[in-house]
Amino acid sequence: MKSIIKYILLVLAIGLVGYNSVYLKKLSSVKKTTGENFDAVTYSKKLWDEKLPARLDSAIEITDLIRAVEANPASALDHYSNALGIGNYRYSLVKLTAIAGVINEDEIVLQIAHSDSLLIARLATEFIYGNAVRDASGLVDIKDFTNTTDLNNISEELNKAVRATVLPSFKQKIKQGDKIEMVAATELNKAHINFNNLELIPVRLRIVQ
Amino acid sequence: MTAMPISYNQHIRRFQSLIALLVLCIVLSVLTDKFFTAANGLNVLKQVAVNICIATGMTLIVLTGGIDLSVGSVLALCGAFTAGLLQNGIAIPSADLFIGFTILGAVLVSVIAGALLGLFNGFVITSFKVPPFVATLAMLTIARGFTMLYTGGHPISNLGSGFAFIGTGSIIGIPVPVWIATAVVLLAVFITQKTRLGRYIYAIGGNEIAAKLSGIRINRVKLMVYSIGAALAALGGVIVTSRLDSAQPNAGISYELDAIAAVVIGGTSLTGGKGSVWGTVIGAIIIGVLNNGLVLLNVSPFWQQVVKGGVILLAVVIDKIGEKKE
Repeated sequence: MKSIIKYILLVLAIGLVGYNSVYLKKLSSVKKTTGENFDAVTYSKKLWDEKLPARLDSAIEITDLIRAVEANPASALDHYSNALGIGNYRYSLVKLTAIAGVINEDEIVLQIAHSDSLLIARLATEFIYGNAVRDASGLVDIKDFTNTTDLNNISEELNKAVRATVLPSFKQKIKQGDKIEMVAATELNKAHINFNNLELIPVRLRIVQ
Repeated sequence: MTAMPISYNQHIRRFQSLIALLVLCIVLSVLTDKFFTAANGLNVLKQVAVNICIATGMTLIVLTGGIDLSVGSVLALCGAFTAGLLQNGIAIPSADLFIGFTILGAVLVSVIAGALLGLFNGFVITSFKVPPFVATLAMLTIARGFTMLYTGGHPISNLGSGFAFIGTGSIIGIPVPVWIATAVVLLAVFITQKTRLGRYIYAIGGNEIAAKLSGIRINRVKLMVYSIGAALAALGGVIVTSRLDSAQPNAGISYELDAIAAVVIGGTSLTGGKGSVWGTVIGAIIIGVLNNGLVLLNVSPFWQQVVKGGVILLAVVIDKIGEKKE
């Protein structure tokens, strides 16, 4: 008799824990209330095709950015760069004209005229990773997303677009000494601003001559 | 009269970890005024709570003469399970069914999943006589791989304030992780000191053949011990995930080393049969205090690793010297 009571109590306890652990719903009703899963491909394509071109047109000339930062770093970075997270890293879309120097497998060394000197930059042509394009665009608001996976997927899709649409024909044609016009995303460290040897992720590229 | 010095040595040996902790606290209190404060004390306890959970399970395993290198990966996988179940539940499109999980449900499923992973470790060790070092090393990689597959390599975030309470909340001024660690320790002390399973654990670690000949079902005990160890690692995963409000695919890397260090510094013999859960708690607190003190003293993180390794080495050497004297 005692063991029967023990088993009944055990089953009741398991039932109680189970009842408070899971809930069942119709999948269709859950989808209706929460919406479909975030589609990073569609979102990024729309951003790339419809919203980004205007941002590229209004990107700041790199030489203007340098002058603005030299005059007032905090205000310049506030105006001309974006960041989704906290920390020192900011991302800018910069417009520039440069001369192609050494062409390596994964990057092209660029020479950019600034005042009386030449700046050196590296144009990434192979490894397009990170959040530079997404964050520099300033078009993605972290508050619109409930998880970082979706944000990461947007970056990945934008990087894919750079790899698939911006770079292939450019890489075939580029020669040392060519003049290039471009809009690129770049990362700036607020604590150690240095415009020499910047890494540039191209978003719009054109060989002028 | 001649028995006195031996008894004194035994007393010193018994409390050597506690004495080391006290000396460490006194030294750090002298070196920095930020150390000996209530807020810092709670901070240290909060930081070591996860290691105490894992190291308590590790103590039971080490007492049987085994070891579990997979706890860090199990922590990551079970943390990811918790986050995944909370956020996405389980969808069964063919039945138009969505199974949602409450916090209790997600935590329970994760701890059970951890226990099953430990059970698998135990099964491989007992059935195929694979050395625990190798079997759990394999699980370390397997569980990490599954974590990456499950999360796609991305963190799972925004798990809600209710869940965050587990890792960041307080009850009567004491952080919830400290309460959880306390409950785990008390349960483990009860198991090791007051139950048959506890006596079997010590017996197997002391002399496995003798334990077998005296009728103890060694394989069953080992299966239970590895399951408990992994379940506690899973519980650690829940706390870590809650504290960060995010399941990180890289969570728990090298946590197994901290847990083993706590066990060793706490005086548990790596060959099994000797040691205690209380010793491990002291060991974990020593590591936590050491980490905290080195940070407060602005010691470079690279030197911190060197010092931590040195302390572990010193603890083992002192233990061996003490054993020889006995």
